[in-house]
Amino acid sequence: MIRDHISLDGIDRYLAETGVQESDFVLVEPSDFTGEIFAVDGSNVSICNWSMASVNLIRAGYAVYRGRVWRRTVITFDDVFMADAKLCRNMFDPYLEQFFGLKGIDLKESDLDRLSSYYRELQEYVAINETLGEAHAGDIILYDGSFDVFELLRGALAVIFARAEEKGVALLAVAKSSSLFWGEEITLPFVQHTSTIGSGLLPEAAWYLSLKDKKVDAGQGRWNGETYVVRFCGESEHDFRVDAPLFLQDEMGSVLGKLAAYSCSSECLGYPHALFRAHRDIRITEQEGAAVRQRLMARLLESGMTHSEIRMLMQDFHDILEMRSGF
Amino acid sequence: MATTQEENQLRMGESLLNRKVIVKGDTTYKIVSKSVTEYHFTVPFILPDEERVEVGQIFSIKDQGLTFLARVLNIEHSSNYDGHWDTTMKGTQFFDQDQIFNRVIAEPLGCINKKLEFKKSRTLPTKFASVTRAEKEEFKFLSQVMGDIEVGYLRNGSRLVEEIPVALHSEAMDHHMGVFATTGMGKSNFMKVFAASCMRLFARGESKFGLLIVDPHGEYLKGKGPIKGLTHLKKYREGLACYSTNRQNASDPGVEELAISESEIFPQDIALLYEWSLPQRDALDTVSRIFDSASWLEEIQSPEGMARMVQEGFKDSTVMVLIRRIKNEMGRNPYIRKRSSLANILANLQKGKVVLVDIPRMSDRSELFLLSVISRYILDEYKKDEQEGQESRKNCLITIEEAQRVLGAGSNTARFESIAREGRKFGVGLCAITQQPKLIDKQLLSQFNTLVVMGLGDRNDRQHLEESAKQDLSSMDIEIQTLEKGEAVVSTLNIPFPVPARIHRYEDYLRRLEKEDKQESLITRGGFKPFLE
Ligand SMILES: Nc1ncnc2c1ncn2[C@@H]1O[C@H](COP(=O)(O)OP(=O)(O)OP(=O)(O)O)[C@@H](O)[C@H]1O
Ligand SMILES: [Mg+2]
Repeated sequence: MIRDHISLDGIDRYLAETGVQESDFVLVEPSDFTGEIFAVDGSNVSICNWSMASVNLIRAGYAVYRGRVWRRTVITFDDVFMADAKLCRNMFDPYLEQFFGLKGIDLKESDLDRLSSYYRELQEYVAINETLGEAHAGDIILYDGSFDVFELLRGALAVIFARAEEKGVALLAVAKSSSLFWGEEITLPFVQHTSTIGSGLLPEAAWYLSLKDKKVDAGQGRWNGETYVVRFCGESEHDFRVDAPLFLQDEMGSVLGKLAAYSCSSECLGYPHALFRAHRDIRITEQEGAAVRQRLMARLLESGMTHSEIRMLMQDFHDILEMRSGF
Repeated sequence: MATTQEENQLRMGESLLNRKVIVKGDTTYKIVSKSVTEYHFTVPFILPDEERVEVGQIFSIKDQGLTFLARVLNIEHSSNYDGHWDTTMKGTQFFDQDQIFNRVIAEPLGCINKKLEFKKSRTLPTKFASVTRAEKEEFKFLSQVMGDIEVGYLRNGSRLVEEIPVALHSEAMDHHMGVFATTGMGKSNFMKVFAASCMRLFARGESKFGLLIVDPHGEYLKGKGPIKGLTHLKKYREGLACYSTNRQNASDPGVEELAISESEIFPQDIALLYEWSLPQRDALDTVSRIFDSASWLEEIQSPEGMARMVQEGFKDSTVMVLIRRIKNEMGRNPYIRKRSSLANILANLQKGKVVLVDIPRMSDRSELFLLSVISRYILDEYKKDEQEGQESRKNCLITIEEAQRVLGAGSNTARFESIAREGRKFGVGLCAITQQPKLIDKQLLSQFNTLVVMGLGDRNDRQHLEESAKQDLSSMDIEIQTLEKGEAVVSTLNIPFPVPARIHRYEDYLRRLEKEDKQESLITRGGFKPFLE
């Protein structure tokens, strides 16, 4: 059973059921690039949660490269976020208004986990917006993730797309993992199987495949862009889902060529290096999460709560089951 | 990495944008860990050859009022990444040179305070304190603890720190010294430099001990070809007294022909030379009882002497062996005469001169024999003087080449062991030179207060030394193994840690000494003025 889901029996069935043709695999020629590459990422770690509210540590920002040289990493948001369906409008609205000129959104229906995810994404968009301010025409902005996003935030994304187009900046979302699938009878992993076929068709080369008009659901139509599967580096076997706004449609080959030249670092072969760095500089480590948890507890103690009250509040029942003690 | 703004995670969303910019900072040459007994710091993983970090180099860490010094023990590849990400070759190159680095593991030597005092450190440098290669400035305090016998310059890794001479202490010389190196690494060169410094001290009226060198290879007197000898140090020639068994050498002005009188040879000296059976050893002991010590050599070789031995109950054959061996020795050592140089040698030593006994082409056994006679004479005389309270005489240091022959575990040469054990009481020290320290008795080795260790390839030699040395040398194992010709680690109790040195090449030192102004201000501890060309 498991094998059925993973292995690819033959290229013919893949071609037939996805609508992909061999000629859809397009070779990417790595080319030098003198502009800057911005890579935006975010991170979200749960500090504690109880049934009515939860606290997360959220961080967002971006790394900037010129060629192989790292210039700087900017953290645009680094704070705890308290998710409470009633209170948290106040936390979203100012950002939406100030950065995207949008009216507030309705979050009443959202569960707590969703709220912190939304918030992290919102902060990532704020970071993208910042890079748009810094970038020059011809530069590339990469976003870790996909543009097929929660409906509530599509408005912000639309503003970003418009600003990118206006500025002449390439904007791509690169997803480390994707849930794209194909298959009429069972659900088969699309990116992985595309990899295998791409390796066969264009061995040891970088290439991309557009999913336009293919029988693969990538949320086409829900957002104003196209989805691709891209191999950034010929020496690598890894492929990525890449989303790009419609205005980039005709430039994809050249933009990907520029990225390919900077996706061959020894640190992380096959992945745009700027995203690698952004991930590392922005991620919240386990120790950081633990430290914040500890400081939060100290504050609560100061404010007069007792140890057992706090423990009740902050310890996940999972931890109790696993006999871990956070404190 | 440098952050331009304090973290503020707990201030819940006070302002909308709280930018924190991380820019390229100095990520290397910083202390990153780890304890009072071991420092780790980072250096770039790729460095030009002349800046590469080497085992043995000394780095300094300036941290507020203190300057910590640490010696490199090892260097490891390292990075901010986890796991085995870097064990396969892939990609074209590293992009983030600030994330990949070498981790240098260093041993704390101690720290210098504002008053330029050096102390062992009971604390550790602040995390991320910056680290630099120690330069002459940081080593200045060392000049203050150096002694009066210059032997080389301080070395930091393979680099010379010419401004800081390495000098041994005269006061430590009766506490014995060891000079250890694999053959050809520079033992003889060291001894000549050492002797030259002693001659210089004498000429300036500053000598505190006499140095005896018995040279079986004939290399110290006049050298060979481009290799110079002690007589080439003309300026301080007055500090050197030479004796030679070689007629031709002895005809040089200022070299006396060596002579030892029969009366100065004791049965024990003969005993030293051979393996003896029990009755033979008995017979030797008896000799000193029944014959006059001044004429026993002559008497025992006469028919009357033989008869007296037989009377004492010894077998003919036993006595015959004894006599044959004595005759052998006498024949082999033509310097044994009626006249003697010993009193003169002793007088020169007590004045604080360098005494060179040149015995070229002499057999191993004869050399030992001679060394034994001279040493015993010296020790006895120093013992007497001690009792008579002779204040004016200087101490004395007796050099033994191939010392493993006489200071080995289980060797039958109690004489030198007795100097090693009790010489100090009377102001007589030993300078043991050997290529095989592993053969030297461990307990003796632990009595040596000064060690000059040069390249030692044999692990057993190093281990043996490290186990018995007074100062801890174990962390310097790699360094000692990789020392090059002329490089040394000098360990002596008056200097707070084993000091890496480059011993002067004797010929260079000679040139420098010949050039210096003889009247130049006296060397005083700490104010030593180096002579740079
Ligand atoms: N400090 C030094 N600087 C430069 N050259 C040196 C130094 N020490 C020794 N040498 C050179 O190395 C060679 C061997 O030195 P030396 O004879 O002193 O070695 P050794 O250890 O006494 O050898 P052996 O075991 O044969 O007695 C000589 O040519 C000498 O000039
Ligand atoms: Mg030698």
